[in-house]
Amino acid sequence: MGAREGAPPEGLLVVGVDIGNSTTEACLAVVAPDGSITYLGTDLTRTTGVKGTPDNTEGALKAIRGALARAGRSAGQVETVLLNEATPVISGLAMETITETIITESTMIGHNPTTPGGEGLGVGTTRSIGELGEQQPGEPVVCVVPHGWDFDDVAAALNAAVAAGVDVVAAILAGDDAVLVTNRLTRPIPVVDEVAAVEKVPLGMLAAVEVAAPGRTIRTLSNSYGLATVFDLDPVQTRQVSPVARALTGNRSAVVVRTPTGDVTDRRIPVGELVLHGAGKTLRVDVDAGAEAIMEVVGRAQPLDDARGEPGTHVGGMLAQVRDTMADVMDVAGQPDVPVSDIAIRDVLAVDTFVPAEVRGGLAGEVALENAVALAAMVRTSRSRMQLVADLVSEGLGAAAEIGGVEGEMAVGGALTTPGVDRPIAVLDLGGGSTDAALLTREGECTAVHVAGAGELVTKLIDSELALGDREVAEGVKWFPLGKVESFFHLRHEDGTVEFVDQPLPPHVFARVVVLTPDGPAPVPTRYGLDHVRRVRREAKRRVFVVNALRALRQVAPGGNLRALEFVVLLGGSALDFEIPDMIADALAPHGIVCGTGNVLGTEGPRNAVASGLVRAHAALLAEEARCRSS
Amino acid sequence: MPEQLTAPGPRPAVLVYRHPGAPAAVLRQVCAGVEEEGVPTDVTEVPGPDDATALAHAAAGESRLGVGIGLDAAGAAAVHHGTLPEGTPVVTTPARALSPDWRRVGRIAARVVKHLPLV
Repeated sequence: MGAREGAPPEGLLVVGVDIGNSTTEACLAVVAPDGSITYLGTDLTRTTGVKGTPDNTEGALKAIRGALARAGRSAGQVETVLLNEATPVISGLAMETITETIITESTMIGHNPTTPGGEGLGVGTTRSIGELGEQQPGEPVVCVVPHGWDFDDVAAALNAAVAAGVDVVAAILAGDDAVLVTNRLTRPIPVVDEVAAVEKVPLGMLAAVEVAAPGRTIRTLSNSYGLATVFDLDPVQTRQVSPVARALTGNRSAVVVRTPTGDVTDRRIPVGELVLHGAGKTLRVDVDAGAEAIMEVVGRAQPLDDARGEPGTHVGGMLAQVRDTMADVMDVAGQPDVPVSDIAIRDVLAVDTFVPAEVRGGLAGEVALENAVALAAMVRTSRSRMQLVADLVSEGLGAAAEIGGVEGEMAVGGALTTPGVDRPIAVLDLGGGSTDAALLTREGECTAVHVAGAGELVTKLIDSELALGDREVAEGVKWFPLGKVESFFHLRHEDGTVEFVDQPLPPHVFARVVVLTPDGPAPVPTRYGLDHVRRVRREAKRRVFVVNALRALRQVAPGGNLRALEFVVLLGGSALDFEIPDMIADALAPHGIVCGTGNVLGTEGPRNAVASGLVRAHAALLAEEARCRSS
Repeated sequence: MPEQLTAPGPRPAVLVYRHPGAPAAVLRQVCAGVEEEGVPTDVTEVPGPDDATALAHAAAGESRLGVGIGLDAAGAAAVHHGTLPEGTPVVTTPARALSPDWRRVGRIAARVVKHLPLV
């Protein structure tokens, strides 16, 4: 052993290394011949490459060297490196919208410009502003103004037309000029502006323009019978336009043009059937039926042997996409490729979600909330992918490296170092791709299960439900509490606390919903308010982690009875989340379970459970061998 | 004494301090930007410093809404808030900007008043 100040503990220097999907953790310890362990240090770094591939070596070596440096040891002193056998599951995600809104023939403009002009309802024939001069007096006209018109010129043209007897009842503008124009009119009319594709508004057709007072929503065009009254529709036609009314609900301003065949369709996309094989049965469920129905059927087919989608349908495409990604991940250089058909999906988590999607055929970037379903799927792999990494680590470090144990069992061992826990103990590893549960009974038996869906799915739900279109921003919303910047010098936190700051907040966060990152507030580019963003975030976490915690624990609990569990320890990256552990503890409380975030070794929090579990398992093995020798 | 171009109303307003040489087109579009958001403006001609940020800072200090706009002779514009240090205006546009940029300056000044995101 190297000379160090103080009495260095006697024994072998071992390093447990846990290569996870996102982080690689190391735990350095000295194991005495009697199996007693002295922990020297831990380290954590980003996983390099996809988990279970040779690319992991770099990160593993970095974590090992980091732990060695902290303990003042050198690589040459290391007796054994212990690697985790990766959880034999890979997970994938797919999302598909199941409804869509299509506007044909540009019949409807239902958007919320921030500043429409005027107030009320105007019904007339659409005419371009250039043709106003040729207009006969008497006939009501809705004036359409293309890009490039100055507000003074628009107002002058409208005033001149009105003076000449033309009955101008409303206007539709391309630019953001509605208030400017209405302020200059001799006769007030409702004006809708910021209609980007104004040139597509059909001319010479009957149209209705409605603008509500500030803080109000339109009343006539969002009401089917209002539309029937305005356009003189019979009952059959009224039934046809009811989707238009529905699409306009909640807007402050809207335009509806009556064209001979124009229509707004709100159709359900046939998604197809999910076919589940398991428990000796083959069950089918229509994905249209929603997450609850799907999960009920998944529950009846447990344990699942495989899941397939009807070929040629959306769900077929979704599962094929998941399978393809998994085949790529599982391919190991030097071994034959994994045939895609051999990949069996062993768990599915379906989540109902919605996607604010731009309406097809819309003229002003209208957005409709479409229903969607997200599927997380998980496959088992039989291949040991870690041996190759172990060989490379051994080569890089100049010390022996071996597979020390299976992740789930090791995690339980590490979790047992949390102060205040005892057998029977269940751990919930809240990871990125899957949620894993393992149970260690009083008798020392260990069972582990993996269910599909975890942190990645939460990020995806937040991303699509808030229409962020940016995974990094969605990660920020998931990880950090929200706030609202209320002035250049104060911000209100999501719990209502108001904080004054010494340095002015930058203009790009002014009046915005922000996430409070360690680097300061970062804006969330959304038009939703703080409460909505918060609700989306918490719902996403609940639908994935709370649902999966219960699902996974029921599978390991004796007889599926949660009351049989005593201690539940939360581990993994998402156990560091500021609200997920509380949400799970709340859900488990009625079952009389002690649940909390782990504190591995009493210092590491929910981190390092597998790495220190590897060291513990190795120490137990050494002690066992020593006992065998002495007896 | 600076010459009042528009009479100060009984209500508070965004103050626009304009150098006598500031182009009329810039003033028109900046004021239109504020008006479109439904916020009043009072325009004052200030022969003092020919610097948009300094003018905006002075205007913000005088405005009962705490928001000022400065326009210099070359056509550069700035928006300031009464609580901010002079060196850090809310937004500035250079002299060679286009009409949508000037409109945006007015809109941002109004949105500071209305506590809306500055877009």
